[in-house]
Amino acid sequence: MRSPAPRKSSNSFVRESSFNVKNVIVFIEHTGGQPRRVSLEIASKAKEIAAALGGSVHAVVLGKGAGGAAEQLKAYPVDAIHVSEDPDIDAFLVDPAVDYLEAAAKAVGPSLVLVPFTMIGRDLGSRLAARLGAGQTADVTDVTVEGGRVACASPKLGGTIVTTCAFQGDYGIAAIRPNSFKATPAAGAGAVATLEKPAGKTYRIKVEEEIVEAAGELGVEEASTVVSGGRGVNGPEPFKTILKDLADALGGSVGASRAAVDAGWISHSHQVGQTGKTISPNLYIAVGISGAIQHKVGMRTASTIVAINKDATVPIGEFADLLVVGDLFEIVPELTKQIRANAAVHA
Amino acid sequence: MKIVVTVKLVPDTTAEKRIDPATKRLVRTGVETVLNPFDEYAIEAALQLKDKLGAGATVTIVTLAPESGKEIVRKALAMGADDAVLVSDAQAEGTDVWGTAYALAHAIENHGFDLVICGTQSTDATTGEVPGALAEYLGVPGITYARKLEVEGTTVKAERETDNGYARVSAELPLLVSVTKSIAEPRYPSLKGIMGAKKKTIAVQSLAEAGVDAPVGTQGARTELLTTVVPPARGKGEIFEAADAVAGAQKILEFLRERKLV
Repeated sequence: MRSPAPRKSSNSFVRESSFNVKNVIVFIEHTGGQPRRVSLEIASKAKEIAAALGGSVHAVVLGKGAGGAAEQLKAYPVDAIHVSEDPDIDAFLVDPAVDYLEAAAKAVGPSLVLVPFTMIGRDLGSRLAARLGAGQTADVTDVTVEGGRVACASPKLGGTIVTTCAFQGDYGIAAIRPNSFKATPAAGAGAVATLEKPAGKTYRIKVEEEIVEAAGELGVEEASTVVSGGRGVNGPEPFKTILKDLADALGGSVGASRAAVDAGWISHSHQVGQTGKTISPNLYIAVGISGAIQHKVGMRTASTIVAINKDATVPIGEFADLLVVGDLFEIVPELTKQIRANAAVHA
Repeated sequence: MKIVVTVKLVPDTTAEKRIDPATKRLVRTGVETVLNPFDEYAIEAALQLKDKLGAGATVTIVTLAPESGKEIVRKALAMGADDAVLVSDAQAEGTDVWGTAYALAHAIENHGFDLVICGTQSTDATTGEVPGALAEYLGVPGITYARKLEVEGTTVKAERETDNGYARVSAELPLLVSVTKSIAEPRYPSLKGIMGAKKKTIAVQSLAEAGVDAPVGTQGARTELLTTVVPPARGKGEIFEAADAVAGAQKILEFLRERKLV
């Protein structure tokens, strides 16, 4: 019932002895024309890498609002911006975007392609790598260039080890963990050009409807501050009230442990840990979370960890920078109040 | 309908990890190995479809693992899968995302399929990039992050998680789907299932027998492992017994101010 799978041409199996690229391509993820912060972080880092390699930075922005996102991108150090607002990109899942990205990669030639390590970035990066027969590194937290060689560092096994990998061949795809680099505005040529529609393509996954449940909220993987609740918060309500208020006061997002998600108190997209998301925020506040290994692997690389728990002997006390022992239902709202008062004084 | 579920064998999250200085890779022998927890959701999704579709639907497990992993694969058969293909080859050692997806694609194609179901990612490498690459090599559409899955005739309807909600998507078979943990709670193997699994077939194939026509191990890898390091463990911080809410909140605020986080 199925036509034979397309095979890569045989030359894609010839192993190159090196990875000699100069240019860097960055995929800019955006929400209706607003570039995601991780995209700007990657664009900023790309300039540094391209400078070390002696090449330039090409950004690819796709879908509805791409033109607007390209305008904002001009404040960042990119040399060329390739744009398409083809409606197929949003009407069909992933395939059109991969086609455009592949066309852009082939037009630019051998290069390092940086995508965000997000749901969309992983999807695009993995498919592009397969198309190009390229190596890929994921959940990358650092990229270095030494003697023209690009190396990507990624935490593995829940951060218990960090591997550093180089690429072989003409292209290398690196999926970058949000909050790994700083978004630094700087002048770039920023010339905008429209990508041509790849010819002869059929798209097979129809997007029937998009349902937005948390408009304007930053995902936990991208937020610089995450306030998470666990079993100790005892129900769904605190996620919408005291935890949300504290997250808002700190400009952060609300996360959760597996126990809270499995109890149905909050949706899976908020889950931090082994079967949820692995994140590296600046500040992680764990509220009523014991900090079992399955949770720890998702947040151990946060810069600062603060825990609030009624029990002084919970595992999180072994690796949190500060564990405050007390009643979370009283401490959290009080903390929100004090942070707001502090912000008002220093405003 | 032929349903294929890909699984990976991973070291248990709580197991002690050791790096072999020569290969710079994780020592996997002597470490407790389990079915990748994400893949149990994929198995459950496949079994629920099989339950609905009835006779004629089969669930085959496909994995790339050492032969010693056979008994772990048997757990998937005990849950209710019909049979398994275990691609085991010394030449596959050191495989990367590209090699894994490429080898799995050939083994799956050899077996034949209408629907491939994957877990979102593995708990060891955590790349989450095999499902997408696998869809490309199989030449079929791939729906990732599905939290709900329905098959009507040859049409698959899915709810796909997004960063701020979900999307309803549809596509025609043959197809690849990766599922999240929201799809269904994996079942425990019943005693009958465990007994029955002993009689089920686990076909062990070499890379050549699986039809893999290019080197996929360290030799064929598109990435080269330079170093593996164990980062310093997070030290124990301060534990503060709060006399009341005001004292607890003050302590945290002071701490955040010291670190310039507020």
